[in-house]
Amino acid sequence: MNAFATDMTTAPDGSAEAAAREELLRVDNVSLSFGGVKAITDISFDILKGEIRAIIGPNGAGKTSMLNVINGFYHPQEGTITWQGKERRKMKPYEAASQGIARTFQNVALFKGMTTLDNIMSGRSLKMHRNFFWQLIWRGPAEAEEIEHRRKVEDIIDFLEIQAIRKTPVGRLPYGLQKRVELGRALAMEPDLLLLDEPMAGMNLEEKEDMSRFILDVNQEFGTTIALIEHDMGVVMDLSDRVVVLDYGKKIADGPPEDVQADQNVIDAYLGVSH
Amino acid sequence: MFYREAGQFKTSYKADQALMPILQDRIGLLVILAIAFVVIPVLANDFFLTSIMIPFLVFALAAIGLNVLTGFCGQLSLGTGAFMGVGAYAAYKLTTIFPDANVIVMVLLSGVFSAAIGAVFGLPSLRIKGLYLAVTTLAAQFFLEWCFIRIPWLYNDNASGAIEIPHREAFGVVVSGAEATPIVRYFIVLSITALIAFLMANVLRGRIGRSWMMIRDMDIAAELMGIRPLQTKLMAFAVSSYICGVAGAMMVFFWLNAAEPSSYSIALSFQILFMVILGGLGSLSGSFMGAAFIWILPVFLKFIPGTIGINLAAETVEHVTFMIVGALIIFFLIVEPHGFARLWQIAKQKLRVWPFPY
Ligand SMILES: Nc1ncnc2c1ncn2[C@@H]1O[C@H](COP(=O)(O)OP(=O)(O)OP(=O)(O)O)[C@@H](O)[C@H]1O
Ligand SMILES: [Mg+2]
Repeated sequence: MNAFATDMTTAPDGSAEAAAREELLRVDNVSLSFGGVKAITDISFDILKGEIRAIIGPNGAGKTSMLNVINGFYHPQEGTITWQGKERRKMKPYEAASQGIARTFQNVALFKGMTTLDNIMSGRSLKMHRNFFWQLIWRGPAEAEEIEHRRKVEDIIDFLEIQAIRKTPVGRLPYGLQKRVELGRALAMEPDLLLLDEPMAGMNLEEKEDMSRFILDVNQEFGTTIALIEHDMGVVMDLSDRVVVLDYGKKIADGPPEDVQADQNVIDAYLGVSH
Repeated sequence: MFYREAGQFKTSYKADQALMPILQDRIGLLVILAIAFVVIPVLANDFFLTSIMIPFLVFALAAIGLNVLTGFCGQLSLGTGAFMGVGAYAAYKLTTIFPDANVIVMVLLSGVFSAAIGAVFGLPSLRIKGLYLAVTTLAAQFFLEWCFIRIPWLYNDNASGAIEIPHREAFGVVVSGAEATPIVRYFIVLSITALIAFLMANVLRGRIGRSWMMIRDMDIAAELMGIRPLQTKLMAFAVSSYICGVAGAMMVFFWLNAAEPSSYSIALSFQILFMVILGGLGSLSGSFMGAAFIWILPVFLKFIPGTIGINLAAETVEHVTFMIVGALIIFFLIVEPHGFARLWQIAKQKLRVWPFPY
């Protein structure tokens, strides 16, 4: 905190910029392996409040594993994670959720048997508290709570322009719309940090444009911090404030998109130059 | 065309998320309730009540119980019969210990015991899934059956090893024991089943029902949305076993009058499971359809051929029933895992677009 305070005073461009630089999450020297396979080796980076932080790298670089570490799905063998100034030990995924971390998945992980509406409502689970006996009766508090959260969910449905598929079981939706519903479900959690694992994979140009617009809007209108994994370099350059590049589980570059793009290590990694 | 919601606009979320947002459905439900509470009691004879309606309602309730666990929460169980047995034995002990208490209350209370035991046997569900979990519930089935046989205290040291339901009165009428009339039994069973079905419909459309379905559809994602897997599954086990327990207690108190351990065997577990599969996994109305089909089909087969002059032996009826049910189960598992309930939906969809075929 102290180091941070001095940093603030020396920040040349005033307090607004400084406030935007507050650290939300920091990963220090994290290593993760599965048996013999080293998925992540000694990686450190930070995510600042309010930014869009891209994580890129070739296939199998360890990007998804990194997200899994952040939201408690994998426990790294070494290293620490500091969330909102507090170092955290082993954490279960549902604890990460209750602390404000939401995510979408590389392979859509929607609740297939439920409608779009119910999928997004499920994002409100942590914010709903009426117990079993109120639910049995329904009339009164349980119904009131359901309506209150339904309003918030309808706002998200409007925002994502998916009104027409509200009552459609998500299993019947085309892939692009499923990804959109999945974003809606994560947004319903009103997270502090939103982890997006390849939100535009397999989309056509128009769908990508829509999705980019949603991501930017979420970041700018709601001020949500976003960590974004994406293979489309154009999208990464346009959307992100800073980029971490992983290759074979190691961090090979970190910085603003233009710098990273020009970095020789990064160019080599993407061209497959041997190590 | 006949069944459509055009013109029925919802002006509030309250109306939109009502149990039955479409008018035709609400009318349908009212008609069914009127038939169940008025028409059948007036018209039906004792045979119809005792051999068809009472067992059908008992099984429908048990199917709802299993559906909560398997259809809505995705945890396969083969211990339904034993959990029903726990309810039966618990109610029997309760009414032995408190002979003056209202036996209907005792039946409703007995479910609490099966809920507790169900939750204990649900503990392995944190680590194991699918068929492996089914095997642990099978172990529960055999262990509990063993208890029903080996613990004489459970059946009051009765020489026959069976429980025999004593004469009990409530509100001045005989409600259990041999003297209880079919019509009284029918009203009790109907009221309890309808009440529990209604309460479960409420739970299933809210936060808790959703959390069960989240675990069923994608447990990893559910956990990342803040659902605690163990608590959620144990709750499903407890609620499901409560309902099955009450159904099991009703089975002996208001239908059979006496029961042996074999009444609650693995065969019963499978019977209820088949009702759930045929009716539709994850559908309350399907639970009724499945129970009706599996219970009434054999009765039907027994009597219809006789009326048109064909005589079928009892064994033939049984075999034909097995074959039809077996074939249908294979059909549904492969073609339409959501059972009759889904076929009914498709039929409604067709009515909506009638006379066009799409
Ligand atoms: N659960 C697991 N068990 C074993 N190995 C794993 C597991 N998860 C990831 N790995 C391995 O860790 C490495 C990194 O995988 P990861 O999925 O994080 O890559 P990625 O950067 O997301 O790749 P992609 O762009 O293909 O999604 C790979 O070699 C992968 O095989
Ligand atoms: Mg990945």
